[in-house]
Amino acid sequence: MTEFLQLIINGLIVGSFYALVGLAIVLVYKATHIVSLAHGQLIAFGALFFWFTFAVLELPLWLSFLITAALAAAMGFMIDRFALRPLIGRPLMAAFLATFAIFMVLDGIFQLILKGLFKVIPPFLPVIRFSIGDMTIPATGLSGFGISLVIFIGLAVFFRYTKLGLGMRATSEDHQLAQGTGISVKNIFSLVWIISAVAAAACGIILAATTDIGYSLPWIIVKGLVVALFGGLDSLSGALVAGLLLGVLESVGAGYLDPIVGGGLQDVAAYIMLLFILLVRPYGLFGQARIERV
Amino acid sequence: MLPCGVFNRKYSQDMAIVRTRHQWGILIATFLLLLILPSFASNYFLSLINFISITIIVTLGLQIISGYCGQISFGQAAFMAVGAYVSAILTSKLGLSFWIALPLSGIAAGLLGIIGGAPSLRIKGFYLAIATIAIHALVMWFVLHSQVTGGVSGLHVPAPKIGPLIFKENKSMYYIIVPVMVLLTLAAKNLTRSKVGRAFVAIRDNDLAAEVMGINVYYYKLLAFFISCLYAGVGGSLFAHWMQMVHPEQFTLIHALYYIGMIIIGGMGSITGVFFGVLFIRLLDELVMFASPPLAAIFPWLGSQPAAALGVVAFGVVLLLFLIFEPRGLAHRWEIFKVTYRLHPFAY
Repeated sequence: MTEFLQLIINGLIVGSFYALVGLAIVLVYKATHIVSLAHGQLIAFGALFFWFTFAVLELPLWLSFLITAALAAAMGFMIDRFALRPLIGRPLMAAFLATFAIFMVLDGIFQLILKGLFKVIPPFLPVIRFSIGDMTIPATGLSGFGISLVIFIGLAVFFRYTKLGLGMRATSEDHQLAQGTGISVKNIFSLVWIISAVAAAACGIILAATTDIGYSLPWIIVKGLVVALFGGLDSLSGALVAGLLLGVLESVGAGYLDPIVGGGLQDVAAYIMLLFILLVRPYGLFGQARIERV
Repeated sequence: MLPCGVFNRKYSQDMAIVRTRHQWGILIATFLLLLILPSFASNYFLSLINFISITIIVTLGLQIISGYCGQISFGQAAFMAVGAYVSAILTSKLGLSFWIALPLSGIAAGLLGIIGGAPSLRIKGFYLAIATIAIHALVMWFVLHSQVTGGVSGLHVPAPKIGPLIFKENKSMYYIIVPVMVLLTLAAKNLTRSKVGRAFVAIRDNDLAAEVMGINVYYYKLLAFFISCLYAGVGGSLFAHWMQMVHPEQFTLIHALYYIGMIIIGGMGSITGVFFGVLFIRLLDELVMFASPPLAAIFPWLGSQPAAALGVVAFGVVLLLFLIFEPRGLAHRWEIFKVTYRLHPFAY
């Protein structure tokens, strides 16, 4: 029983990171109807920026956060402005493939910076471990979990109560109607990319705090895709629920089934879940059932 | 549009691929050049040609499923892996001849492709693309964790042979790979002009309309997946015997992304486009390979081995530029060039 609870706690912590990745994808999809792979690199570069400001330049923590957020926002803006705005009005598949081209470009740059090594960020979150009974909860993971929740609540409030948030919700309903009511759809797109880039950078920082910055960091975007699809591509709360669920499923599945199938289940659990969802409920748990049946 | 003085008098003339005397001349000259090329080309050049030919085979398959049938698939590298591993296991563990293993591996990959393509019956577009990523991951997970496939260490593959002839070097493998490539290209070209090819295009353009016209959408989608994965399997088998080893690192998701990029750069829905795309990307890679040591000498911050990373950057930039400025690819440019050439002194 303790083992089971421990696995669930680990899963929840990892799941909160997945939820953040999914959140970045959902944010962009909601407004622009583009599914973005580029956020994998925004996560990786967020972590790199933070590593550079905090570990190399040794700036204070709050300043490093600010600079990282600003740089990530600039990256998000530039991706939207120079790669995706020319594709407005083209088939959505083209925009999807464009984000994957951006992923490749940034992946090459990321590898050039890493040079096959790991970048280690000195611990800035409390490193103690709480113990409840036989279970241990790493404080790093817990604070990561907390930060994810705060970002989720903040965004939910932003969408619900601010005028800009209203504009974004209108844009996600219908681009032309939104434009007709005086909302600048282009500006909304840019803003969405900036917000999602900052969310991705936050996710990158948390991930970098728990694991090091390595070659495979950008590929967490695939987990984010699973989360976004599972929760429903246009549902913020769906991303949170699906992220936590995926984390728990991976952790429990790997904990109990790995000895039977010979390991590595953690890597494919997400994909099995993805295929299952796509076949059974392609619009996700909380998404609007807008997808066309074939 | 036809050159001046060429008219369609019979149906067979209208359907012919090679129309003019010039085209016959170029075709025969090309085949002669391909035939005698190994006698004077360097080993490096031959290995490049072999690699390009194998990539063309795999990408032809992707063109059929994605360019003609409109089902974007990120699974091509995984099905290539299936072909490579089936061929490797059949020849090295069961001792079968390469000549039997080659078609068998194509059929095995094709049959698995039908299973892998099953999600296309329910979902399409972006969702299907993601589903094929999942299929890629599942196939590669099996390859990595199975006993038969040798896991992370891969398998050694014997060289093909006929009697005393052993196809061990680039020079001899060239005579297997290039003819197979030419045959499969002809097959793909003719397939896309036949009833099946027209059904694929109808499904791509509007699957509902295709169904109303009496096309069995399920059957043709699965057929497209079968053919596409058959190409991937044959390409994988050739690749395994050419490299004389199979390894999971040869079939990553990045490779699948490269194949997709090649058909976009070459032009979706065009067999000629496959050649343009593959040549463009492979030559770009070679260019980067040559350019990177001097670049690394000038810019020390690039590190000592920047070729792989720079190649990915170059590929991404080119793909992005094509998506934005020429979404119909190089094949479209080629068509424009042909028309302008034939009309030359006149504008239309």
